[in-house]
Amino acid sequence: MTARAASRVDLLQGTLDLLILRTLLLGRAHGHAIAKHIQRTSGDLLQVETGSLYPALHRLEARGWIAAAWELSEKGKRAKYYRLTAKGREQLHAERTKWETFSRAMGLVLNPLNREPV
Amino acid sequence: MNRIFRKLGWMARRSEKEAELSDELRFHLQEEAEQAEAAGLTAEQARSAAQRELGNVALLMEDTRATWGWTWLERFWQDLRYAVRMLRRNPGFAAAAILSLALGIGANTAIFSLLDAVVFRPLPVANPRQLVQFTNTLPLWETGSSIPNSLYAYPQLERFQSQSKTLSGMFGWAGLGRMNVGFHGTSGIADAEACSGDFFSVLGIAPQYGRFFSAGEDRVGAPVAVIGDGYWRDRFGADPSIVGSAITLNRIPFTVIGIAPPEFWGVSVGSSPDLWLPLHAMDRFKPDSRRWTEPFSAWMQIAGRLRPGIPREQAQAELDVIHRHFLRERMSISELGGLENVQRFAREGHLLLRPAASGVDSGLRDSYASALKLLMWVAGIVLLVACVNVANLLLARASHRRREIAVRMALGASRGRLVRQLVTESMVLALAGGLLAIPMAWWGSLALVSMISAADSPVPLAVDPDWTTFAFTAAVSLLAGILFGLAPALRGTRADPGPVLKEGTRPVGRSSHTLDRALVVAQVALSVVLVTGAGLFLRTLGKLWDVNTGYDRENVLMFSVDAKLAGYPSDRAGAVYREILQKVRALPGVTSATASIVRPVDDEFNLLDQVNEIDGRSLPEPSVIRVAWNATSPGYFSTISTPLVSGRDFDSHDGESAPKVVIVSESLANRAFPNRNPIGHRLGDATIVGVVKDSLYRGARDRPRPLLYHPLFQHGPDQEYRWGFVSFELRYGSLSNLAEEVRREVASVDPNLPVFRSKTLAAQTAESLMEERLLAALSTFFGALALLLACVGLYGLMAYAVARRTAEIGIRLALGARRDGILWLVLRETLWLTLAGIAAGVPLALWAARYAKSELFGVSPADPLTIGVTVALLLGVAALAGYIPARRAVGVDPVVALRYE
Repeated sequence: MTARAASRVDLLQGTLDLLILRTLLLGRAHGHAIAKHIQRTSGDLLQVETGSLYPALHRLEARGWIAAAWELSEKGKRAKYYRLTAKGREQLHAERTKWETFSRAMGLVLNPLNREPV
Repeated sequence: MNRIFRKLGWMARRSEKEAELSDELRFHLQEEAEQAEAAGLTAEQARSAAQRELGNVALLMEDTRATWGWTWLERFWQDLRYAVRMLRRNPGFAAAAILSLALGIGANTAIFSLLDAVVFRPLPVANPRQLVQFTNTLPLWETGSSIPNSLYAYPQLERFQSQSKTLSGMFGWAGLGRMNVGFHGTSGIADAEACSGDFFSVLGIAPQYGRFFSAGEDRVGAPVAVIGDGYWRDRFGADPSIVGSAITLNRIPFTVIGIAPPEFWGVSVGSSPDLWLPLHAMDRFKPDSRRWTEPFSAWMQIAGRLRPGIPREQAQAELDVIHRHFLRERMSISELGGLENVQRFAREGHLLLRPAASGVDSGLRDSYASALKLLMWVAGIVLLVACVNVANLLLARASHRRREIAVRMALGASRGRLVRQLVTESMVLALAGGLLAIPMAWWGSLALVSMISAADSPVPLAVDPDWTTFAFTAAVSLLAGILFGLAPALRGTRADPGPVLKEGTRPVGRSSHTLDRALVVAQVALSVVLVTGAGLFLRTLGKLWDVNTGYDRENVLMFSVDAKLAGYPSDRAGAVYREILQKVRALPGVTSATASIVRPVDDEFNLLDQVNEIDGRSLPEPSVIRVAWNATSPGYFSTISTPLVSGRDFDSHDGESAPKVVIVSESLANRAFPNRNPIGHRLGDATIVGVVKDSLYRGARDRPRPLLYHPLFQHGPDQEYRWGFVSFELRYGSLSNLAEEVRREVASVDPNLPVFRSKTLAAQTAESLMEERLLAALSTFFGALALLLACVGLYGLMAYAVARRTAEIGIRLALGARRDGILWLVLRETLWLTLAGIAAGVPLALWAARYAKSELFGVSPADPLTIGVTVALLLGVAALAGYIPARRAVGVDPVVALRYE
């Protein structure tokens, strides 16, 4: 087992969707950029598997939460850019609330003594 | 909704999306490689690192495609194409499987479409579920029980119409029998029905041309007629201008006012009137004012339509009260009110409403419903045998495909996916079989209808495939596909791919062959059931044919003539019949000729009367003798060879003005005059002049019963020849052209006299055994089919076993085994399997035969002869099926067999 694999945090089902939506809140991006952004902002803790990224992108597109268009990248190559739709924005809000509730609940259960938030 | 459209759109630009996905991934790869290169790797290293990072591209693409939706449809399409390809690679296997399935499914569909037409199909009218038929219980004084009866008197219809609040409408009708329809100087026979004025409006059907009876048109003197679609096409060439034309019915003028729609054939399955007249038109043929007023002379049937939301029980309760009130009220007024049975009828009779969605009471339905249901079971078993056969073929093939399946499993295909693919293959087989079954079934059901049709009167049944039939076929095919496909698919994919891939192409393993054996044993067992059934029905038919009916059915030609059809009044009819008798008697080849009202094995008449006075002493009602009766001309008994026991036959002196005489059957003589000579005694106002041997009045299934014979030319005028027509019986030396000569002679008496029901007594007897012949013929056919399929199954299993054991047999032979020992080795296994099947099948057959008991005659459901023959037949067929592979085993050359290894 390599060191990278050992330190990687496995993504929960549905979490990747939230991460993608959050990333796209900053503006349009192609698949590779989205993966790199998540990896970078998580301090390399979250490694997005390409094998899950593209199915997830296409799933979100099918649900109408994100929209896609072919545009030229900064290096002048054709790339498929995704952006958040209005519906996706609502979804992000809902997912985020859900996630925050969940993580606070997890925190309370795992650290029963630190009742006050830091 | 939006989503569905989006998906549909994506489906449409499927290849475009595939290309886009590839582009997208290629871009990802390039980005990744560039970044890796920027981080200091060589171009080569960067590319492979990027590739590694991307992982299993095929899987990735598959997962992404899955998000586009409808992958199941794509996979299904994929499976379908693969299945068709596999089947085309094995055309022999595919043909055998599809053909045996088509036979099984076709047999089921054919029987079903007949069963549907006879029993289930709703009438083609508006809301058929609201229709109900009026019936009532008729107490019998002999037995104390009640029989259902569907006849009512006309005043009852009027009473129901004026008082019922639960029915939205009702109508009455009565068959009028044959009519001679004249049109522009031509004449022809048609079947007519009289119906009350609101018959068509209550049924809720519309004429295809003209109109139906209008309100108030059903009254005395009504000169209007509605023509059925079939008759309109046959007789009038489907000419719409016939509406408004004049026709004559038995020489009485009528006007055609409308044509019934093509889908409407009547209200009773199996009887399809050619024309409908208003009820009161009956008075134009024979005025009878009592017909409309007498409350206890029941002659018409009644049906009605429930008001929406009213349950049948509620309507029945209301109508029963009206019915009983009517009977009690009228009993005191009617001249028949003094009779004890009328009193009991009024006291104990009840009205019952029967659902009539698929038509009212029908003789055809009564005769064939149970036989058809039985045949449906038989056909179902045939399909089961066919399914087992295909399952066996699939199993044998699955062992050849073990390697293919193992490879696919090793490559990561899930078991569910493989099972689904194998079941898809079965479904393709089943649906191909079902498709082929449709024309077979159509042909089969037409053949069935012609089988149950008398030569001169085809049964009017619409059996052309409709949606119900198609739905049935599709359902049966799918069921069959799952039935025979699932087990082999599950077993075929059970294997662990490792050993299979190692062992090579030669399939081994004994345990995996218990399923094939069990299937063959099941096939044999089911065949035993069908062959036993066929044997029982064949024996029944033989027994019925051999029954001594009391007359000689060979060399007798019969035909009927009705003087009324040519417009003769009843006082001149007798002279017409006498003249015909004289002319046909003089024909060359005719040894004797007579006339009667009821012919032997009659299919139209069942005349009942009662003897209530012996020698001037009237009998108390319980000892009144119920008799069947007939009226015959002199020479009747000698013509049909019924022996006269004592006294004399009628002769030419027993005419209208002579003293009344009768002849009695032995049963009647024994009942009325036990141990005495009845000759010279009196029954009612007639003197007994002769006693004849008992003969079966209603054919082979009847029992000897009291029978009373009147002289035709004495009794007929008295009855105004109201039974309409007379049957003539001719004993002939040679039949050639006799029927044609008879027509000519009758035409020479009067060209307007139609001859009908012309057939030999043997043919009439055969027609009376139609249901039994249908059962015997079809069960034999199905039994043979099942036997053939079982034989193919056994052969296939043994041939496969021999092929599998070629090496073993080679070793045995090389070690000095005798060839007949090898032959016996294979035969023994075949016979063991067959014996196991027989051991399971015989109890099953005995159990099933009890349900067919009512269809049997003169043979017990556990008939040892039938069972014995069945067992012998199966063993013989099995030996044959086993012999061919056994011969092949004996022919094995040990050197070749071992080298093959």
